Amino acid sequence: MRVLAAVLLLLITACTSSTPAPVRLKVLASTELADLGPVLAELRRATGVELVVEHRGTVEASGSLAGFDLAWLSTARFLRLRGAEPELASSVMTSPVVLGVKRGSRSALGERPTWADVADRAALGRFRYGMADPRVSGGGMAALIGVATAAAGTGAPLRPEDVSCDRLQGFLAGRAFDVPDPVGEFVRRSDVDGLVAHESELLSLNASGRLAEPLEIVYPRDGIVLSDYPLMLVEPAHRAAYDRVVEWLRSPAAQQMIADRTWRRPVEPSVVRDEKLRADLGTALYFPDSSEVIDRLLLFHDRAGDGRQVVFVLDYSTSMAGARLAGLREAFGSLNGFDRFYVGETVTIVRFAGTVLEERSITVRGREDLDALLAVVASEDLRDNTAIWAALDRGLQLARGETAVVLMTDGENNAGPSVDEFLRVGRGEVPVFPIRFGEASTAELDRVAQASGGRLVEAGAKSLLEAVREIRGCR
Amino acid sequence: MREPEFKVVDPRRRFLLWFVPPLAVFVAGLVVLLVSGHVTGPFRSVTVVRALFASKRDFFQDEQVKRILMARGYQVHVTPIGSRDLADKPDLDSYHFVFPSGHVANEHVKTRRAGKHVVPYRPFFTPVVLATFREYAEALKQAGVAKPHDSSEKPLYYNLDMAGLKELADVGKRWNELGLTNGNRVIVQSPDPCKAYSGATLVGFFATAFGDEPPQTVAAAEKLAREVKPYVDAQGQAGEDMAPKYFVPEGRTHAVIAVIYEHQYIAYQLRQKSIDSERVLLYPKKQHQSTPELISFTPEGDRIGELMMNDPDLRRRAVELGFHSLSWNGESADDFGTYISGRGLPTPPAGEAGRVQLPKAELFERMLDVVGECK
Repeated sequence: MRVLAAVLLLLITACTSSTPAPVRLKVLASTELADLGPVLAELRRATGVELVVEHRGTVEASGSLAGFDLAWLSTARFLRLRGAEPELASSVMTSPVVLGVKRGSRSALGERPTWADVADRAALGRFRYGMADPRVSGGGMAALIGVATAAAGTGAPLRPEDVSCDRLQGFLAGRAFDVPDPVGEFVRRSDVDGLVAHESELLSLNASGRLAEPLEIVYPRDGIVLSDYPLMLVEPAHRAAYDRVVEWLRSPAAQQMIADRTWRRPVEPSVVRDEKLRADLGTALYFPDSSEVIDRLLLFHDRAGDGRQVVFVLDYSTSMAGARLAGLREAFGSLNGFDRFYVGETVTIVRFAGTVLEERSITVRGREDLDALLAVVASEDLRDNTAIWAALDRGLQLARGETAVVLMTDGENNAGPSVDEFLRVGRGEVPVFPIRFGEASTAELDRVAQASGGRLVEAGAKSLLEAVREIRGCR
Repeated sequence: MREPEFKVVDPRRRFLLWFVPPLAVFVAGLVVLLVSGHVTGPFRSVTVVRALFASKRDFFQDEQVKRILMARGYQVHVTPIGSRDLADKPDLDSYHFVFPSGHVANEHVKTRRAGKHVVPYRPFFTPVVLATFREYAEALKQAGVAKPHDSSEKPLYYNLDMAGLKELADVGKRWNELGLTNGNRVIVQSPDPCKAYSGATLVGFFATAFGDEPPQTVAAAEKLAREVKPYVDAQGQAGEDMAPKYFVPEGRTHAVIAVIYEHQYIAYQLRQKSIDSERVLLYPKKQHQSTPELISFTPEGDRIGELMMNDPDLRRRAVELGFHSLSWNGESADDFGTYISGRGLPTPPAGEAGRVQLPKAELFERMLDVVGECK
């Protein structure tokens, strides 16, 4: 009898021998994937593969995959920039980086806002948001890339030269925090209007009951960045287990579970989705093909909010009357979106003719300050003569810390020091961006621009507004 | 006082107690095997064949294909890899066969196997296409760059003028200037030309916008590559296989024009309950057909190759998966058109209006290196 039992036992085990031996794999995964616990438990039951997960921000994790068998990050794009993408990668699910907004703050952004609208309200102090730290987190970096791409407005991937400092500063002025756990921080605070994060994180937060009322999800009209969560094979020896895991994760049942439990969008088209996961995402923004772009974004990100200043040295000699002055006022009045003066920025205006006529410094706190600036520019106090270099000298004296100077003039210098005398004195690091129109001397303005590290802009070729936008204090 | 009770043990019952549960397991297992078509599987020796695959791996990963091969006594273990990486793989010789997507990799593999067992089989072909969405195809039509292939109300196939598309790119035309709500420039997105054959084909497509004659010298190839490069670079960082993402509901957000293979589209349409008329294909007037070669290194590989050419079940399945089948003499068989029109899908304009003359393999590789800055 015992023999018979043994034989039967053998038969049974023989029948199940196709179930592979249990495997334990070390996985480096994006921070937000901590919500995959139930899915991974089911994966282990179904495939015998146990994923032992260590969580890190995607940007940080992309620095090195050494010591792990698999990597499961929000995107392989940061690895690809370094040429370090593993050979095998399989996208498992997607989630866009979007905005979650409190109901009470929602109207501030308008009907279907663009990133420019968000930057505009953020610059005015009317929209304060939290985000993940882009030095660490893929979601934070995706937001930064999205906003910078929208700000560059080329409709193409960012090139290093497109990443201009001040066009991001307005957006970043609205940032209440960038921390490793933005969701947790958001729940703790009451003074923040919204959160920039993955759709999945926002929908999970809404479903969690941790908020008094759910956030409204806003998909910026000019484009979003989509994370596609590829599972990557780092250690080729684990190929067989990797294949099993991918096959299971992409099966309809697992995809359904991912959609239901984690609010990420399935890559399997047949899965039935919750209404919330059907929202149209619209246009995607292209991803840059240069790590220099990422470096520059971080540079400007780190520099944000430390009291930058822009000094405008404006020619109010009588020749500016009429269309030129009207153009100047219009340019100031229509600075909006990414170009707006932003909260925390100090704007200094020096009006001059034969002498300095007026100087005003205003640190922007809200819309009233912008109105005050417009009042200065609206002045009808025009005088004779043009002391360009004396006025610029005064403007430079008013510069504090991180500053750029914009000089607008239409005439020849006929009072005060000459350009040679002006340049004889060391001027430090402050870049000067002259905007030339009318009879102003190209040669002299260009010399000063070059000597300071700035750039000459022709107001004739483009509209004045374009010129102001182009140079808004950017190096 | 009660009599002591004796429990009478019926040896047959005891036997049944032991025997029935395992028997049930056995019978259940047998039923599962019968239903799944592996009935003879466990009792017959199965040859495991190791193979390297580029984009055509979906064929061998198809459940029905696996079942047919299993019934013939073979199990193909698939290692997916980009076509160009495949040709350069150091352990190439350790596989029974390889299945790259295009002629450059094919030639490269054959060169590396010179003097050893190497037998090519060409079971089917599929054109490389630009997959897009109806409103984008219609916008290109309005711009005079695309023409519907047939006069139906909702054509699925459009012929594309690559020179016209290049001109749109030259002036930095944006989709919102063509009447769509998308501020992005008119850009084609593809996998990395250094790694994937479909990405390389995009280089070939744009090259046709600069003239019909393929370059004959390295210098001419490099010059042409430098002219083509901006149009391929325009997409920023290239992706991987575009097809899976094109077919999800977020397809437009992944890419509005993506380079894929026609078979991926046909197979997708055949899986739908009714035809998806939102997703449409653009065929460059000079088409490029990917004719993957199953290149066998061993007798086991030969056997798979022969099955691919001869086995009626495998050939029928290939057509169901969207491939145009080829006979031994390289002629295209007519079962593709018959089958898909039988399923209500119009016949695509494959192979009608001429083909891209790709340069010789080594010159084309040089072009790819220049365009993709391949490492």
